[in-house]
Amino acid sequence: MSVPDAMPLPVAGVGEERKQAKEKEDAEKYSFMATVTKAPKKQIQFADDMQEFTKFPTKTGRRSLSRSISQSSTDSYSSAASYTDSSDDEVSPREKQQTNSKGSSNFCVKNIKQAEFGRREIEIAEQGIFYSGRESGNQRDLHDGVRQSVERQKQVASAEDMSALISLRKRAQGEKPLAGAKIVGCTHITAQTAVLIETLCALGAQCRWSACNIYSTQNEVAAALAEAGVAVFAWKGESEDDFWWCIDRCVNMDGWQANMILDDGGDLTHWVYKKYPNVFKKIRGIVEESVTGVHRLYQLSKAGKLCVPAMNVNDSVTKQKFDNLYCCRESILDGLKRTTDVMFGGKQVVVCGYGEVGKGCCAALKALGAIVYITEIDPICALQACMDGFRVVKLNEVIRQVDVVITCTGNKNVVTREHLDRMKNSCIVCNMGHSNTEIDVTSLRTPELTWERVRSQVDHVIWPDGKRVVLLAEGRLLNLSCSTVPTFVLSITATTQALALIELYNAPEGRYKQDVYLLPKKMDEYVASLHLPSFDAHLTELTDDQAKYLGLNKNGPFKPNYYRY
Amino acid sequence: MSVQVVSAAAATKVPEVELKDLSPPDPEPQLGMSAAAVAAMTPAAGAGDPEAPAPAPTSAPAPGSGSGPAAALSPAAAPPAGKVPQASAMKRSDPHHQHQRHRDGGEALVSPDGTVTEAPRTVKKQIQFADQKQEFNKRPTKIGRRSLSRSISQSSTDSYSSAASYTDSSDDETSPRDKQQKNSKGSSDFCVKNIKQAEFGRREIEIAEQEMPALMALRKRAQGEKPLAGAKIVGCTHITAQTAVLMETLSALGAQCRWAACNIYSTLNEVAAALAESGFPVFAWKGESEDDFWWCIDRCVNVEGWQPNMILDDGGDLTHWIYKKYPNMFKKIKGIVEESVTGVHRLYQLSKAGKLCVPAMNVNDSVTKQKFDNLYCCRESILDGLKRTTDMMFGGKQVVVCGYGEVGKGCCAALKAMGSIVYVTEIDPICALQACMDGFRLVKLNEVIRQVDIVITCTGNKNVVTREHLDRMKNSCIVCNMGHSNTEIDVASLRTPELTWERVRSQVDHVIWPDGKRIVLLAEGRLLNLSCSTVPTFVLSITATTQALALIELYNAPEGRYKQDVYLLPKKMDEYVASLHLPTFDAHLTELTDEQAKYLGLNKNGPFKPNYYRY
Repeated sequence: MSVPDAMPLPVAGVGEERKQAKEKEDAEKYSFMATVTKAPKKQIQFADDMQEFTKFPTKTGRRSLSRSISQSSTDSYSSAASYTDSSDDEVSPREKQQTNSKGSSNFCVKNIKQAEFGRREIEIAEQGIFYSGRESGNQRDLHDGVRQSVERQKQVASAEDMSALISLRKRAQGEKPLAGAKIVGCTHITAQTAVLIETLCALGAQCRWSACNIYSTQNEVAAALAEAGVAVFAWKGESEDDFWWCIDRCVNMDGWQANMILDDGGDLTHWVYKKYPNVFKKIRGIVEESVTGVHRLYQLSKAGKLCVPAMNVNDSVTKQKFDNLYCCRESILDGLKRTTDVMFGGKQVVVCGYGEVGKGCCAALKALGAIVYITEIDPICALQACMDGFRVVKLNEVIRQVDVVITCTGNKNVVTREHLDRMKNSCIVCNMGHSNTEIDVTSLRTPELTWERVRSQVDHVIWPDGKRVVLLAEGRLLNLSCSTVPTFVLSITATTQALALIELYNAPEGRYKQDVYLLPKKMDEYVASLHLPSFDAHLTELTDDQAKYLGLNKNGPFKPNYYRY
Repeated sequence: MSVQVVSAAAATKVPEVELKDLSPPDPEPQLGMSAAAVAAMTPAAGAGDPEAPAPAPTSAPAPGSGSGPAAALSPAAAPPAGKVPQASAMKRSDPHHQHQRHRDGGEALVSPDGTVTEAPRTVKKQIQFADQKQEFNKRPTKIGRRSLSRSISQSSTDSYSSAASYTDSSDDETSPRDKQQKNSKGSSDFCVKNIKQAEFGRREIEIAEQEMPALMALRKRAQGEKPLAGAKIVGCTHITAQTAVLMETLSALGAQCRWAACNIYSTLNEVAAALAESGFPVFAWKGESEDDFWWCIDRCVNVEGWQPNMILDDGGDLTHWIYKKYPNMFKKIKGIVEESVTGVHRLYQLSKAGKLCVPAMNVNDSVTKQKFDNLYCCRESILDGLKRTTDMMFGGKQVVVCGYGEVGKGCCAALKAMGSIVYVTEIDPICALQACMDGFRLVKLNEVIRQVDIVITCTGNKNVVTREHLDRMKNSCIVCNMGHSNTEIDVASLRTPELTWERVRSQVDHVIWPDGKRIVLLAEGRLLNLSCSTVPTFVLSITATTQALALIELYNAPEGRYKQDVYLLPKKMDEYVASLHLPTFDAHLTELTDEQAKYLGLNKNGPFKPNYYRY
């Protein structure tokens, strides 16, 4: 049962996706530009418009929640926004001179004075108290002072937290597995990331950090990190120029050279390749979080240009299951409830696609008594749907009768204008897949149809005969637009990143070549095991005798690489 | 239902057989009697067994009359009916085989003493007690991980045992090897128990055809192309009605087949006869000796003027024989399709040793087959197996399921749906986290052992339930095994003088502690789903279709696609197996538009997922 520690991902099939990745990245640039041009105008005016940046996740090819920031972090950002983004403070952080209490000015954040608030947010993330989306939505409206809002947030305590990272901190603090590591990172800067960064520091690493997205930074968290001595270069509302400047400040520093890269989206890696190729001589490895970034790495690898080992943490088993199956199982109900207040019992729902996301949606809907139909193109998944008790149909066979249409195919134009024309009155249409291509929304932008925004994220599209179709989030991702990403999921991601860094940094010479690797199964299992205490779950240990019988190491890995879970 | 029909046919036909079969002088009256006797006896043998329906005794006296179905059904339904005996354990001394079994980690019988104690019992009591025949349920324990197709289905078994009532009379002791038989076309290139049973066998095959629409659809779809034209396939599998459908499909697609049985007990004599009658050289009968077994394989392979170019194997015995005896044959062989875990391990060993000189395809690990063998099949058979043996209600019962792999997931889903309170034990943190997220409490066994009503093991491990656990269980706790082999529950530790064993019905033992506490042990810790439930034909259909497609793929692969290695079934073929089974559910698969296919970078006809996709 000896299995190689980490296998390079099978490249078959990826090749086909590569082309898409290119397309996606083009699209991504476009959407990026779009945000840049659009956002400044309406930035402060409407809470709704802030939701625009939920478009951002379309950048990811397959769903990668961690690539997007969580709604919760968004919420806290927006609640924070009420005081930190006052339009009075128009001075660019680049032009400010700031020092933290220790006298260091090796950072660049919006306002170092917000450090105290940020620290509280980080502590909340550590301790398992965080704000629910709804509550902070109210805060947004109320424009409360931050103290008050933090207190309110504490009242809405949740059991979910980053305790896995904290326990990793405790378990590994003695060994300092990252002693000597100099990590340059480029991720969303949120309270959860801060917990990750501080964990890395506690394990012995030095970190320099910038934001992978110009809007996602929580200014007060960045300030708190800066105050604690982490070199952070990030603020909310960077310009494109600021964005690259921040990255450059992270990398380009006298007397400090990075030996690990933690990237989300591949921008940092790209910048280092372009500007400081020599840095790679010292770099032990790249940990990449997003689908886009992973595709870029595979392209580099294929072109023979990848000169260090890279680890694709996006495709680790635990992370994939949580990003897709478990997260969507909850957010489909939440998203639909928040937007439409629909009751599910007895409703006829068609779910397009029965992959992980589709499986999650169907399980949740079935549990609430909905009658669920499936459309599928892959016969294996179709057979799974049959065996799970769902009718497999073609969309046009049921389109006249269903109350809800949910897409989760990753494909485009799954719901066409023709389908929309045939839907019954007040049919709800939404997308859980990726991007905003699944529902052909542009085909609805015709003169004979009237659009009516009935509430945030909910449009009624009205046909000349009075029929209404309820379109959610304009066909963008429902779970990111109208629901939350639980901290628990972010904790899985952050823990995976931390373990990938530890693995790459400590791997003996030769274990990893200049290729893209999946997280070794043992590390994947470790991520899972760190999260088990949240459930008060008691893992059984193999006896020596049993381990011998199974030919396994008592501490794992427990399954061969091809195991499907 | 189908079983009843066949059995009825069999029962009514008995007199005819008596009249026609003249070769052994005067065996037949006894044969006929024995049929009636078995029919009559069975209810008694399975007394209290829920599987043996009440009507049997009354109808038994008139097997030839219209009441045949019920009479015939009772032997059919009797629990012993079923399974493939632990033939290999008894017959195969081949050290490689022993080793292989050990590698699989499968069975208690690996231990020499186990083999010694178990085997004679089976032989001795084989005909006496219906219950004892269940011994041969141990046979599937040979498989390392669960491979249901390695065992034969209960349904085929049922018909087999109903047939057994007349074909296996101890009177007809002449070995088929010594008989001269010809089919109606004058060919004698076969060796079966009794060619005259062909008609019954044909009816069984026809029934199986109804239940295997995928193979029939494949026959229709590919008949024009004859993708196996020129293929000479030598096969060694269980010979059941389902296999017969497979063989006839291969033949319809252009192949020539020669077939032997991969197990000395699993052959349905009448099906073998039907195949022989329609011109297939079949060498197999129920109750072969070890010597017969290899003789049959040899007869398949060693023919003047016919050399196989494909191998379909189940267990690796055929492959092993050819390697040992006719290594030159591999020059012409295009590929091996291997069905069982054991056989696949043998192939990997060969490949590792650099001795594999042709491509081989491991169909056991195809996605569709694995899901059906494990998740879907166990999801149903756990309830069925428990109901049949204990008649318990599941609602509100506290159940602990050890292991949350595919089998465990299936068991938990079914039990949860019935309203049970389910606890899970796991060693793998990823699976453990899955259990948590699916709403099951993850515990250690000793934390809940005092309070649970049912303990189900599906770990593939050994001694998961120890004597210590058993000592602490509450009164009338049910203990059973869905995993593999019979190692998971430490049954041997219960064979101590202070404990009383009481067999309350077939497959159900009460183990009684000195203080009066009883533990209900099912199937003596062997596989519950094989001992006390059925393998649906649908699952066998998945397997047979997978085998057929693997043969087509290997035979038609362009030079160089497959090297001398062990391959998994290509995803596209796997998807095709699934698609052939969709019509059963009246499922309507959506097709990609050209534009969508382009967007996704996929071929419109699949494969739709990368190889590492987890489903």
